[in-house]
Amino acid sequence: MTPLVHGAVWGVVIATVLVTVAVFSIWFERKFAARMQTRYGPTLVGPAGLLQIVADALKMMQKEDILPQKADPMLFRLAPPCAVIFTLAAAAVIPFDEDVLAADLDIGVLFLLAVGGLVVFPVWVAGWASNNKYALLGAMRAVAQGIAYEIPLVLSAMVPVVLAQSMRLSDIISVQAETHWFVFWPLGPGLIAFVIFFICSLAEANRIPFDIPEAESELVAGVTTEYAGMRFGLLQMAEYLHTLIASAVAAAIFFGGWDGPFASGLHWMVLKTLVLFFMIFWIRWSLVRFRSDQLMALCWKYLLPLSLVLVMLSALFVYVRAMDA
Amino acid sequence: MPRRVTEVDPHLDIETYDPSADLMVLNLGPQHPSTHGVFRVKLYLDGEIIVKAVPYAGYLHRGVEKLCEELTFVQIIPVVDKNDYVSPMMNEQAIVMACEAMLEIEVPRRALYLRTIFAELQRVASHLLWLGTFGMDLGGALGGGASLFMYCFRERETILGLFEEVTGCRFHYNTHAVGGNRHDITPKFCRDTKTTIEVIAKRIEEYIQIFSSNRIYRDRTQGVGVLDGDLAVSLGITGPLARASGVDHDLRRDAPYHIYGELDVNVFTESAGDCLARTLVRLQEMCESIRIVREIIDSVPEGPILGIKPGKSPTHIKIESSQRYTCIESPRGELGTYLIGGGSNRGASAYRLKIRSPSLHAVSCIPYVFPGHTVSDAIAILGTLDPIMGEVDR
Amino acid sequence: MGYFIDTARAMAVTMRNVFRPPTTVQYPKEDRVRPERYRTSFALVHDASGDEACIACLACERICPSRIITVKPAGKRESPVTGKKRNYLEDLTLDLNACIFCELCVQVCPTDALIMLRELAKPALSREGLFLSMERLYANESLAHSWGTGSRLMEMQDPKRGLPALEPGREAPPQGVDPIADGVS
Repeated sequence: MTPLVHGAVWGVVIATVLVTVAVFSIWFERKFAARMQTRYGPTLVGPAGLLQIVADALKMMQKEDILPQKADPMLFRLAPPCAVIFTLAAAAVIPFDEDVLAADLDIGVLFLLAVGGLVVFPVWVAGWASNNKYALLGAMRAVAQGIAYEIPLVLSAMVPVVLAQSMRLSDIISVQAETHWFVFWPLGPGLIAFVIFFICSLAEANRIPFDIPEAESELVAGVTTEYAGMRFGLLQMAEYLHTLIASAVAAAIFFGGWDGPFASGLHWMVLKTLVLFFMIFWIRWSLVRFRSDQLMALCWKYLLPLSLVLVMLSALFVYVRAMDA
Repeated sequence: MPRRVTEVDPHLDIETYDPSADLMVLNLGPQHPSTHGVFRVKLYLDGEIIVKAVPYAGYLHRGVEKLCEELTFVQIIPVVDKNDYVSPMMNEQAIVMACEAMLEIEVPRRALYLRTIFAELQRVASHLLWLGTFGMDLGGALGGGASLFMYCFRERETILGLFEEVTGCRFHYNTHAVGGNRHDITPKFCRDTKTTIEVIAKRIEEYIQIFSSNRIYRDRTQGVGVLDGDLAVSLGITGPLARASGVDHDLRRDAPYHIYGELDVNVFTESAGDCLARTLVRLQEMCESIRIVREIIDSVPEGPILGIKPGKSPTHIKIESSQRYTCIESPRGELGTYLIGGGSNRGASAYRLKIRSPSLHAVSCIPYVFPGHTVSDAIAILGTLDPIMGEVDR
Repeated sequence: MGYFIDTARAMAVTMRNVFRPPTTVQYPKEDRVRPERYRTSFALVHDASGDEACIACLACERICPSRIITVKPAGKRESPVTGKKRNYLEDLTLDLNACIFCELCVQVCPTDALIMLRELAKPALSREGLFLSMERLYANESLAHSWGTGSRLMEMQDPKRGLPALEPGREAPPQGVDPIADGVS
């Protein structure tokens, strides 16, 4: 198979699977959130409410397609699909198993972070094109947050790259399979880098406690105020997908991907991704959000210097190991 | 701390929008997820910093005071119930106390005990609602705030269940009458109350853990929305707002009514005057109310619950032309009733019944407190002011 | 940093609540038990002898703060049960759309004719559905009644209740005993 055909086939498969998982994760999140609040969650539609999301999707699809009068028509219509496309494109390089991946690029991590960073644009454009002050405020906050947290994200993702001495994701996982998972060893840089990567992914995906761009209690619906129906559905889908892909990436570069203590394979990758995804939900339903200037202070004053130090420490570690060998 | 960008004159009561100042006008409009009812604040923003804030109330005006001139004193109690729709017991008690003071009716001891128990339970319920909605303001309707909201309402439902046992209604009870109460409590109510308040006392510890001792929460509320004690007094702000700014005034201790004179009511004050101080004052007040209920629930004396014979006609209570002001301590502050008798129906209606609502005064501090903060802070401050629009607009 | 510890504590609280039983009730499949004095919709009842209890005295119409009750008396007629002439009711309409459920009409009724119900009636699908005509009010009689009828409320509010007896040898009526809720017959 040529790389193009290989990429196309696996790309479609992986994209479909990810979208389905993201959609059903909404069901899981609603049930889990309900249990945390001592209530039931969706129960009526389908067994244990499983088809609730299908019902919601159908409801969204049959809604009227509203275009505000003074909104920029092309940008307004373009933003939601672009958000989903850029998010899914980043998933092309994630190896779910030894040969289950769409594109085995040797600049995998770079591609991932670059395309993942593009996600800020559709959110910003959506807020601008809505011609709504609340959306504009949300968009400006989203841009500030997205750009600021990009840097510690990249730097903390550099720690596994430095430790494995390769940007190819399957190489990173192979190195972890041979030695230890990078989150546990070396102890300092690995764990702290994972924590920083996790926090920055939360911020990039606009999840609580960093969801100031779509802060519902302050900015009605923030960036998505003027969107209705399936366009709103796409923007929400983009957020869930981004979260899912961020947890998949964290599972791959910090937790060893498809490697496991016994019977390595696809199931380990899925398990790790879902555990991290679950942690993100749990955090969402327990915390209140940061204010935007506190958010920025956290990034610039704490995460950025720390991630710089971590990259240097991991480089030092690799050097020392190379000297020993 | 956000810096103050331009000088603000809060005494300007006409909005002068100067285009050269390059400020964005944002309506924290009547339709908003967290303005606590229909309330509009016009914000002049410089980036994200508020330069000027102008509150507009009146969206929920229902003409209650005008109705008071037409309906009789017996009929007006269930209508005035709906002013402060979060703590209806207080509204009823304010009106019936005003009528009783004018007519100099002696309320039986049992009724006074019942009124005190109901008032304190209602205070706990009202503060629980405040805590839940404040969590939603800070943390979002989909997020940690929603969890806190569900927990607070779960506890509040138990209190409303107690009221339902006694009066028949979870809300808007019409259980007070001029001269006493209309519904009596039972031993089952006493037993259920004791178990309920113990559960709530334990759960408040949990809320403190998830919420007010949380670092993120403290960052959002510490130093935010500082209300000076002198400004509070000059604007007529009372209740937990004033006590959080250092004003040591509580009607239950300073001008006792019901049986507060025989109890030791602890009054909690903080000096910081910011949102965190207001939160702490309200949490401590909840614990204090639970302590008061625990103290008196078993010592309710025997006796009648109404001091005068219950009447069958709407013109049963007649008040002649005289004026009086009575006030009680509602969860929001001093809820006062200024009553001028001698109205229509030969004195069976009031000539004028003015309700002094504490939330209106709380809302009036917005032009002074908002400027210099960001929009997120504005929501936090508005949450801690705890305005109830039904009371603000009547 | 302190953020992590506080985050962990908040997450512990939410996880603890996952293992508590849900406190919501799946209405209408299940319904919670309403207490004795629960008051919702209305009914007109017949008295113990089977005769219509309402004497069309218009007390409820006069006291209603929302002015939703309209009473049309039918004049004096001979009663089929006692044989004596008494007032009868021609029409009583109660607009539940505007009712504030204050229980004042029930309290002033001299014959306990108008009472409130304890059982929830089915919700209506239109405004007309909430407009209770006399037929619907008499039909509601078969639903569970609330404890609070006029005479019971008046008795509870009697200023002489619970006071020591004035006649020697007679005990004061027991205080605070709700005959239905506390199982005392």
